[in-house]
Amino acid sequence: MLQLLCKLASRSPWIYRINAGSCNGCDVEMATTALIPRYDVERLGCKYCGSPRHADVVLISGPLTLRVRDKVLRVYNEIPHPKVTVAVGVCPVSGGCFRDGYTVGADIDHYIPLDVIVPGCPPRPQAIMEGILKAVEVWRARLEESVCCHS
Amino acid sequence: MLPFLKIMLRNLVLGPSTDPFPFAPAKTHENFRGCAVHDPEKCILCGICRHVCAAGAIQIRASQDGSGMQYSLWHNSCVFCGMCAHYCPTGALTMSNNWHLAHTGAEMFSNCISNLIHFGECAQCGAKIQPRPQAIIDTLGVRSPDRFLLCPKCKRQSIGRNVAQPRSIHRQENL
Repeated sequence: MLQLLCKLASRSPWIYRINAGSCNGCDVEMATTALIPRYDVERLGCKYCGSPRHADVVLISGPLTLRVRDKVLRVYNEIPHPKVTVAVGVCPVSGGCFRDGYTVGADIDHYIPLDVIVPGCPPRPQAIMEGILKAVEVWRARLEESVCCHS
Repeated sequence: MLPFLKIMLRNLVLGPSTDPFPFAPAKTHENFRGCAVHDPEKCILCGICRHVCAAGAIQIRASQDGSGMQYSLWHNSCVFCGMCAHYCPTGALTMSNNWHLAHTGAEMFSNCISNLIHFGECAQCGAKIQPRPQAIIDTLGVRSPDRFLLCPKCKRQSIGRNVAQPRSIHRQENL
């Protein structure tokens, strides 16, 4: 039963977006992949959700500024476990052009493990979709792993 | 009357507007700025790319054995502004239209260009100088081909020798 669920669930990941102090460029691209018919991410079974408690795949953009750091971590901890993190843009990985800025502390990598990285400033919508597809593979592997642990 | 009929007919004729990307290759403009490509055969280690890089993605460090410099460009820091390719005097750095850069977190630090560029040798004394690949000799070295391959010290001596005899040359030309 659990295995069947895991097989079905991995076909429809729910996506949640976190803006960790991004310049909004990547957020616009993430909205673009979902909202316009040209790069329809919903035909891959993905769905954007409004609550972190429903999410499976988390898209994080921005260099994790000091002001939002605690809030981002609080929201991130609310996401139920087999979760996959996708870093959209170069900011979460390295800080991009905000690196060593006075509002940017350590990289996101020190607080949140990044599973898939989509570099770009911003990445194009197709690249984000490629990243989401990679994330779904990682998520499927994790689901199967957790099912094996249960049984 | 019934304006939707026109739209419906047009949609029927034009087909779906969705980009079929994950199932078919996406259209990419040839001028699309994707990841940078570095050609170690043309690089002269001038360092202008590192100087203009807004995101600090380029590092040039001396190699362990001292035979050259380790050139590294981290794609996870590059913002694709293309300034390095614009200012590169030899065309060693170019921006490709490759945007397939999504990778897993384990490959975070291996997703970079890393090239070892060997120093050149002075044609007279054998001292280490900036690399002098053939492509550069053909373009930048045409003005003074004999002096282009010398280290600064030998170059100074060569210029000094030339300065000692310029008048005789001028006189010969005037005659």
